Amino acid sequence: MSDNKTHQLVIVGAGPAALSAAIYTTREDIETLLFEKGVVGGLAAVTDIIDNYPGFAQGVHGLDLAESLRTQAERFGANITLGEVLAIDTSTKYPKLLTTDGQVRTKALLIATGCDYKKTGVPGEQEYYARGVHYCATCDGAFYRDKKLVVIGGGNSAVQESIFLTRFASHIDILVRSKIKASEVLQKELQTYIDNGKITIHLGISPKEIVGNEDGVYEVVGQTTKGELKKYQTDGVFIFIGLQPNTNFLINSQVELDRYGFIATDGNLETTVKGIFAAGDVRKGATMQIASASGEGATAALKIREYLEGRLHTSEPRELEVNP
Amino acid sequence: MVKNITIFTTNTCGYCQMVKKYLTAKGMGYDEVNLDQHPHRRAEAQNISGAMTVPITVVTKTDDTKEVIVGYNLSKLVPAVN
Ligand SMILES: Cc1cc2nc3c(=O)[nH]c(=O)nc-3n(C[C@H](O)[C@H](O)[C@H](O)COP(=O)(O)OP(=O)(O)OC[C@H]3O[C@@H](n4cnc5c(N)ncnc54)[C@H](O)[C@@H]3O)c2cc1C
Repeated sequence: MSDNKTHQLVIVGAGPAALSAAIYTTREDIETLLFEKGVVGGLAAVTDIIDNYPGFAQGVHGLDLAESLRTQAERFGANITLGEVLAIDTSTKYPKLLTTDGQVRTKALLIATGCDYKKTGVPGEQEYYARGVHYCATCDGAFYRDKKLVVIGGGNSAVQESIFLTRFASHIDILVRSKIKASEVLQKELQTYIDNGKITIHLGISPKEIVGNEDGVYEVVGQTTKGELKKYQTDGVFIFIGLQPNTNFLINSQVELDRYGFIATDGNLETTVKGIFAAGDVRKGATMQIASASGEGATAALKIREYLEGRLHTSEPRELEVNP
Repeated sequence: MVKNITIFTTNTCGYCQMVKKYLTAKGMGYDEVNLDQHPHRRAEAQNISGAMTVPITVVTKTDDTKEVIVGYNLSKLVPAVN
């Protein structure tokens, strides 16, 4: 892929924010190259059912939404390359990207790399990865038909994925450090599984160790707020304790990150480096929803067009955008 | 040289779609074992890979040696099939 060409726009990631941006830019005849290191469709593609994306009255399977977004972007000429962006060099006139496919240079850059699951860091987590420790229910749930599971976490993802896992598992223990923080709709749905005995919630429990042997995981050790240790027998553990932004490849660049690693942008969704924009879950202040990621992708695309045409005005955070 | 490729998948697995898309884009055929449709083959997938996850891609070479790739991992899949 290394070439001497300066691309018009490179997008890092091919999740909902990136693909929505690409639909807009390619329709405007802006040559657009995307790099995706995982699944085209991003986290949306590994979610079973999405019930709150506007326009799908009965909900939509994440994989179907991802496939539609990809088809739509490719219909207008988006070029999706399977590969990872490893680093960017912002010291030159145009940003240079080091990728698993070589180096590319681009006039404008959109970072839409979203987030990945956080790890607990407890002993056993790394050792038993994919042998009893999992982060993707839609991928690995099927291995736990009629088996017992532990889910760690109490936010939207933990509750949504636990509900999905009840299709397979005989029983799920959810270990929550403080309290359940999922939305009310999800909590209401969760209650039906608590009532029918499929799910048990354990509040005030932090994971301490994931224990196993050559056959895989058999126990999770948790600690109460009073320091008491409790053991939960299980056949596997799914961990959903929040997300961390995919911005490691930016660490040596001039793109400013907040202390959690999210990208700071102005009202144009432009970062601290001219011509480099960010959209979706990776952006500081993002609302972590597919609809908002898509909306930010569209906004970024329109701002990138202005930038490429030399019409982008510096935005103050308080500035109101008024359509002419 | 590759003799055949088998992919263990499930209905809801996005990473499985990516492996299938990659092989299709390269014009390579494969057999798919959907573990939702054939749950009795889960143990086979687990034994061959040592992992409880999908996709599991088994690349059999013409000399009958096998390479097993766990998950969607292009850095392992690309050399295994080329
Ligand atoms: C379990 C779960 C359930 C959810 N359910 C819902 C729901 O019901 N409704 C809803 O609206 N939202 C839901 N969300 C949130 C939603 O999935 C995200 O808000 C949305 O996917 C964000 O889109 P994005 O494009 O910003 O990032 P992502 O979807 O995360 O896509 C980013 C992409 O960038 C790629 N990438 C990262 N780094 C690199 C790199 N260096 N090089 C190349 N590629 C890279 C990643 O592989 C990824 O594919 C859910 C999330 C989870 C985890």
